Amino acid sequence: MCGIVGYAGRRAAQPILIESLKRLEYRGYDSAGIAVVGEDIQKGMQLFKSKGEIAVLESSMPEMKGSTGIAHTRWATQGKPTTVNAHPLADCTNRLAVVHNGIISNFMEVREDLLKSGHKFASETDTEVFAHLVESELKGDLVEAVRKALEKVEGTYTFAVVGAGYDEVVATRRESPLVVGLGDGENFIASDVTALLKYTNRVVYIQDGEVVRITRDSVSIVDEKGSKVEREPQKITWSLEDAEKGGYPHFMLKEIFDQPEAIHDSLLGRIETMEPEPFFQGNSFSNVKIVACGTSYHAGLVGKYIIEELARVPTTVQISSEYRYSPISRESPLVVLITQSGETADTLGAAREARKRGNKTIGIANVVGSAITREVDHVIYTRAGPEIGVAATKTFVTQLVALYLLAMELGMQNRSLTAQARRSMTSVLRNLPRDVQDVLNKADEIETLAKKYSSARDMFFIGRSINYPIALEGALKTKEISYIHGEGFPAGELKHGPLALISKDSPVVAVAVRDHTYEKMLGNISEVSARGSPVIAIGFEGDSELAKFADDVISIRQTPPMFSPVPVIVVLQLLAYYLAKERGCPIDKPRNIAKTVTVE
Amino acid sequence: MKAVILAAGEGMRLRPLTVSEPKVMIPVANRPILEYVIDSLVKNDVTDIVVVVGYRKERIMSHFEDGRKFGAKIEYVVQEKQLGNGHALFAAKDRLSGEFLVLPGDNVIDRRAVGDLLKAGACPSALVVESDNPSKYGVVTLERGAITSVHEKPSEMISNIILTGMYCLSDRIFQFIDRCIAEGEYGLSNAVQESLGEQPVTPVFSDGLWIDAVYPWDLLELNAAALENLAVRTAGKIESQVVLSGPVGIGEETIIRAGTTIYGPVLIGDGCEIGPNVTIFPSTSIGNSVTVEPYTVIKNSVLMSNCNIGAHSYLSHCLLGYGVKSQSHLMGAGSEAYVNIADEFFKVPHIGSILGEDTAFGTGVSIEPGTIVGAGCKVSSGARITRNLPNRALVT
Repeated sequence: MCGIVGYAGRRAAQPILIESLKRLEYRGYDSAGIAVVGEDIQKGMQLFKSKGEIAVLESSMPEMKGSTGIAHTRWATQGKPTTVNAHPLADCTNRLAVVHNGIISNFMEVREDLLKSGHKFASETDTEVFAHLVESELKGDLVEAVRKALEKVEGTYTFAVVGAGYDEVVATRRESPLVVGLGDGENFIASDVTALLKYTNRVVYIQDGEVVRITRDSVSIVDEKGSKVEREPQKITWSLEDAEKGGYPHFMLKEIFDQPEAIHDSLLGRIETMEPEPFFQGNSFSNVKIVACGTSYHAGLVGKYIIEELARVPTTVQISSEYRYSPISRESPLVVLITQSGETADTLGAAREARKRGNKTIGIANVVGSAITREVDHVIYTRAGPEIGVAATKTFVTQLVALYLLAMELGMQNRSLTAQARRSMTSVLRNLPRDVQDVLNKADEIETLAKKYSSARDMFFIGRSINYPIALEGALKTKEISYIHGEGFPAGELKHGPLALISKDSPVVAVAVRDHTYEKMLGNISEVSARGSPVIAIGFEGDSELAKFADDVISIRQTPPMFSPVPVIVVLQLLAYYLAKERGCPIDKPRNIAKTVTVE
Repeated sequence: MKAVILAAGEGMRLRPLTVSEPKVMIPVANRPILEYVIDSLVKNDVTDIVVVVGYRKERIMSHFEDGRKFGAKIEYVVQEKQLGNGHALFAAKDRLSGEFLVLPGDNVIDRRAVGDLLKAGACPSALVVESDNPSKYGVVTLERGAITSVHEKPSEMISNIILTGMYCLSDRIFQFIDRCIAEGEYGLSNAVQESLGEQPVTPVFSDGLWIDAVYPWDLLELNAAALENLAVRTAGKIESQVVLSGPVGIGEETIIRAGTTIYGPVLIGDGCEIGPNVTIFPSTSIGNSVTVEPYTVIKNSVLMSNCNIGAHSYLSHCLLGYGVKSQSHLMGAGSEAYVNIADEFFKVPHIGSILGEDTAFGTGVSIEPGTIVGAGCKVSSGARITRNLPNRALVT
């Protein structure tokens, strides 16, 4: 949940660490800290941390001399967000500093042992035990000490360690991300590649259990047993400018407007040929299980409708953290794991569980080379480019694209989809960027609407069939960035309870495209407007009927209903964005939420 | 030196091609016009650029972002209401001091045009050219190497030397713009005229490329000119018995199916599917994700991204906006024609039809040369279109 960066090179470490850390700020920001060591052993280790954003740290820290260091931005999971609990954490001698992402699950016992042998603890964190462990194991070689210390801890983690007198950063990981950046006369580590892109695009991904040492001139990796590991660096093809705002007031708005391009990139090379993917050949699946969290889970819910419609394969959707509690079914499903970052701990855990159960697995991920891609049998990349806004937008839409492609493959494989039907779907997919552009052209209209409803305390989102999960996603977007209490319901469920919540102060957003649910949706709209709720309806262009039922109508271009979730969600993203803007919310960094959740 | 590019206007005379993007983003040889302008600046080491945006600004910002991809550092300033180019420049006042370049974002220029202005070393100065049709522009009179007067779109012949809209100016211009705005004059040439009394403006002649795209047919000419410098890059997959002759650029993941013949210069973007048995003649540009079905013939046309042209179609001297869809047998022939733009008729020597974005045609639709079909129209099978259609028209 936190961000980690480290540097060993010729330049002053402090400004580079702060600059890199800022790239990770979206991951969490209740406290931040930095530790720098220099060539001068007498100077020892210089450490500073503070509560609040990185900007607070930057403005309050003293100048630190030295060209080796680590820094951290924290989102509290263990211990309160205070300065004492912020990372880095030091050992008793104040010569070692540790930053950590993840959880040490046996830290209580380890702490007891360490207390008995005389170590003094300054904080309530699990991280601090690692600093003391390394201290007690340190007999010259820092890598060896870290490796020995690792034998005593259980849990999931990325650690990075610096020590006074060592011009190196030592780091390790288990089920938590860690990447090394290779520079010229300098090297980096980070928990996310975005932190490094300003300095290098050559990276090496570190695997579970490995310990890496970076110095200004070298990068060496050893495995759990201490034997040397050789690994070729990879080149990151997207650059930092992709991650910059480029004139937009917020990353989220930029990412919303990037969507036509993102869809194009996601489709490129996947729909022109008619040849099936080798993975699907000879594999037939009697059922599909989609496993994901948050917005990816909503994509999965839409995927259920898509796969059942196109491939006629029964599909269930499950929250990642709940998957392991589901009983093993007699039939072996195809398990589809969706995670934007590819590092979501709950989903990674589910991928391992699925494999243990002997199921075939597919990962849908946006980050090339991320952890999930090593855990599954087949990967579909969403190619949305980096997404910085905490509220997922373009990654959600491209996840839907991946699910359409997956369903088409499955449908072709089990012959429920003819080549002809696939071809006509291909042309609908090709047109999706245009359908989205048409919604973007209406941004002003949606902004006006948002102004009208921005004082709402509650907002309800209703839809049926494939647009029911879209209602859920619209509600999620609204609550996470505008802090309006948004809730999504299947429209048919209103009368079974939620109608009690409806009042004239709670606008209802209804998705009413002309599909088989249309007449029923009109009924539901009447139901809520009879109780005084203002209704914002989203319908097809040229639908004059809808305007008679709803207070406001936003039109989308006509598409085959199965593909309507894509333009509809773009309407809801813009609505959520403008509601948040009107209410003055910190759109790219909503309170209490982190982008990539790497703890369970 | 900093440069300001004025890119806020819609480009109304290019409607319906500007429904979802400003004129500066219209592709010429698959690159937005503005990219040529930025490129010319960067090649002259002018990398600190302010872009004044307004109409559909997101399209510009999403494409250029912070400019790094183009070797520049780009800042954006928003002109909320597009009143005129002087008013647009005024919007960037806080970002400018001392001397700076001013360029219109919607003219295709090359590095020499910018180079000549820089080399002249005079400020204020204005890049001027001789024009056969000066009445559309700001016309200047010269005396002893200085501009003596500016006449905006004069009805009578004053001179054939016109302003290109490219200047080297200093921040002193803002007081004149301010004065003009107070009088309800929003054009930059008004302010330049005002300033002449206190400060002579040096005319700079250039033999560099400067093409102004005002009307749709100008885009065809621009496209043909840009394709002349086409650096051929062939990616994608080319099936057997495809003939590629002359420079033909083919993008990633594009498939050229069997029996297709392409005579360059022709540029085809990424993810397209062309053929089998399609014939494409010079000077044609095709964007990304375009499909062209069998036996279709395309000549000297521009097809923007996401178009889908059915079998047995014929397009000559046509401009197709994004996402135009047609079933089979679309006839868009080109010839001499009168084109009606904003109730004014223009005789154009060779023009096909101009089809607005996302318009959908049934099968067997034929469109008269010189006809402009709006965006988002739906035209039923068998229709014959002989006059301009507004946006979202339904033809049954």
